[in-house]
Amino acid sequence: MSDEHITKLKEDIQAAIADPTRREALYTCMKRGRDQRANALLDWPGGAAFREDVRAAKDRCLDQQDELMQRFIANAEQRGAKVFVAKDGPAAIEYVLNVAKKRGAKTVSKSKSLTTEEIELNVPLEEAGLRVVETDLGELIIQLVDERPYHLVFPSIHKTAKEVAEIFTKATGKPVPNDIESIMGVVRPYLRPIFLESDIGLTGANVGVAETGAIAIETNEGNARLVSSIGDCHICVMGMEKIVETMEEAMLMVAAHPLSATGQCPTTYVTWMAGRSPMGEGEGQERESHIVILDNGRTAMREDERLKEALRCIRCGACMNICPTYGVVGGHTFGHIYPGPIGIPWTAAVHGLDAASTFSPLCISCGLCKEICPAEIDIPLIIAEVKHRHMKEHGAPKADRTMMAADRFAWLGSATAPVSNWFLKNPLFRRVLENVAGVDRRRTLPPFSRPTFTKQFARRTVAQPAAPNRKVALFIDVYANYNAPKLGMAVVDHLMRAGCDVSVPKQTSSGYPYIAYGDLEKAGAVARRNVASMVLAAREGRDIVSPEPTAAYALKKSYPSLLPDSEDARLVADHTYELFEYLLMVQNGHDAQPLKGRRFGFHCSCHQRPLGSGEAAMEWLRKQGAEVELIETGTCCGMGGTFGLKAGPLGYDLSQAVGQHLFEAFLEADIEAIVSESSVCAIQLAEGTGIPVIHPLELLQPPQQG
Amino acid sequence: MELIQQFAKRFESLKGVVHTASGDGDAARIALSICADASARAVALSHVPRPFQATFAEGCRDSGVTVVAPPYPHDTLPGAIDGAQVGVSMARFAIAQTGTLVEVDVDDACRIVSCLPRTHICLVRNADFVAELYDAAPRLRTLFQENERNCVVSFISGPSRTGDIEMKLTLGVHGPEQAHVIVIDDA
Repeated sequence: MSDEHITKLKEDIQAAIADPTRREALYTCMKRGRDQRANALLDWPGGAAFREDVRAAKDRCLDQQDELMQRFIANAEQRGAKVFVAKDGPAAIEYVLNVAKKRGAKTVSKSKSLTTEEIELNVPLEEAGLRVVETDLGELIIQLVDERPYHLVFPSIHKTAKEVAEIFTKATGKPVPNDIESIMGVVRPYLRPIFLESDIGLTGANVGVAETGAIAIETNEGNARLVSSIGDCHICVMGMEKIVETMEEAMLMVAAHPLSATGQCPTTYVTWMAGRSPMGEGEGQERESHIVILDNGRTAMREDERLKEALRCIRCGACMNICPTYGVVGGHTFGHIYPGPIGIPWTAAVHGLDAASTFSPLCISCGLCKEICPAEIDIPLIIAEVKHRHMKEHGAPKADRTMMAADRFAWLGSATAPVSNWFLKNPLFRRVLENVAGVDRRRTLPPFSRPTFTKQFARRTVAQPAAPNRKVALFIDVYANYNAPKLGMAVVDHLMRAGCDVSVPKQTSSGYPYIAYGDLEKAGAVARRNVASMVLAAREGRDIVSPEPTAAYALKKSYPSLLPDSEDARLVADHTYELFEYLLMVQNGHDAQPLKGRRFGFHCSCHQRPLGSGEAAMEWLRKQGAEVELIETGTCCGMGGTFGLKAGPLGYDLSQAVGQHLFEAFLEADIEAIVSESSVCAIQLAEGTGIPVIHPLELLQPPQQG
Repeated sequence: MELIQQFAKRFESLKGVVHTASGDGDAARIALSICADASARAVALSHVPRPFQATFAEGCRDSGVTVVAPPYPHDTLPGAIDGAQVGVSMARFAIAQTGTLVEVDVDDACRIVSCLPRTHICLVRNADFVAELYDAAPRLRTLFQENERNCVVSFISGPSRTGDIEMKLTLGVHGPEQAHVIVIDDA
């Protein structure tokens, strides 16, 4: 049954949505993370340019991983460290247990290591009679309540100060007041003896440096400094993909990581450690440092064409901070051990496809994680690949199948309009539609029109400009073709009046839902078909525009990724412009100010972020005399394309929860209407706010038809 | 010097404190004053310049403050340093852009001087500032080349902090609650 893996997920989503206190805490934290990063980048030389450098360095080092690992091992061993390459979790655990046994160790103090959580190291250590204490405060908190990390960087972010105070009251046997200062007053003396008495100090490593055989460990608390110094036996567990070649590359990672996570640079402490230093003077100290380099699926990832990019991950958590659905449900629902967007491919690689598929449907393919990732990992496409692999074995859930066929339904809706519109407003029909096709009955669907834009364009009598200064191919997509042909005609009219010859080449809809729901075979087929047609226009010297941001995004970003060996896809992408970027280029003479005195709130759809973030549309509106304010929360409105149409928790309900703060922001603003280029965001915002939502071109007087 | 001003601005925004001293003797005086404010009964030293240490130790003697210094016998550790309320170390160099002190240790006893006590005082010479974080990379490579076996380089950018509870910032968990830098002008 293809819906089984999402039964529990739906329950968890419902529970998360029904917890407003936790939701508010999570939203505030995620927003703070996004905003702090954005502010820090304003001051950082080059802003976000380091992302390209991180990507290049990581790709280079991953290509040479075997050689770099050998160099790292040679250098580390020459300095006196012992290195063990563990092929999987059990091998790593066995090694650590043997070291502990040989040393007669009783207590292990740990600084934060997600890698040790990946292999669930603590359990076998405790079963062997060792006391294992997490010293990173967030990790300690979840250790005391036996929970999994909620966020990569802030594992206990879901706990309020009050809850943390209760946890420490229980742990110390003495009442701890609810304020953070008092809690810290208890935590420091609680952990101090553990630091001082530990036999083994267990750390992770953020980077391994091949040319020096050193590891770098970042913390803000200073706990890694204590863990890696006092205990006579130090053990580090590090994923093999963490190894870079040079100190320069290491410094880049040490900067990129906290900049992306919290806007800091660097973390308060960075410990660059090589070999094992003595603790004071005196013979016979028996001080050791062991470095366990973990494979556990990483070598296989390198050989996996689609998944290997995920190895660039530097564990910053930025993707989580911006992910709209993670921001509502948190890391226990959106995760297995590794949470968040990047957690989907990592879980698939190290914990299995089934584990990843318990939360991969939470990805609504907004693409925001890709825009923020410091290593420029194409996380949305990798997630689509994970969904695809699961779908091939188990089929797709009913609602997903409906949405992937959305363009065919739209064709039918248009062909049978206006009768279809009557049905769509009929409650009984909507209930049947919900049960049969998984479309939420509460969702207001835009009415269908007949004839389609394509037909209207073919029938138009107005001639193309005699001596056009530019040639344009229009990619119309679903909404402007089947629901709002007037909008399509308005685009044509504006372009022709600006001296462009406009054609509408043979095309299907963008097919983006196939990417969103993980049918990459069909997505590739649609991409090939559209590229084959649009490339002819491109070769003719036509520029390509679309009134639908997701369609432009598909042409410009998705198709080249789906068809990496296709020169044609690249050519089409190079010829694709964001609509208002193009209009600003080709239109001149904005003397009339038809929108003077009008006040609008602009909504930038997620797929527009890499296409200029709506700046062109806002400028265009201002040229018409309008006052425009960008209103955003920094994340998605919640619609996620067709996601918000789906019935119930894994659809409509979650999409409403995501959009809540954005709705409030629009309602608080002094505007007469919302302007958005995206037809699907428009549905969400109109329903969520009750404010009219209009496409910029619909604001002007309807142009001459004909 | 512009780099020092940039460093100070950044270090102070991270809740550290920056002092300037004209020479080792003046630095010792400032350090003694910080120790008095911290009501220190014991101070642990890492490797610090001899002139500084002499003046500082004398001042401590006069106020009845115990001073422990390298070499540290292994069996007195870590207690001897944990028992100190103030730790004094010296940075090899500092990074202006990020407000970072760079300590180099080949003995972990010296490393914990800037970790365990509640108050950390770090000395740095005004000639030992670099502009940007990336400038530190070649320096670190050289340091690791110069020390063929064990070596630990520690970046310190302010007092210890955490945001783990509700992403709200708190200081002094688990490293020093106060971080002071004394920039020694050798002119």
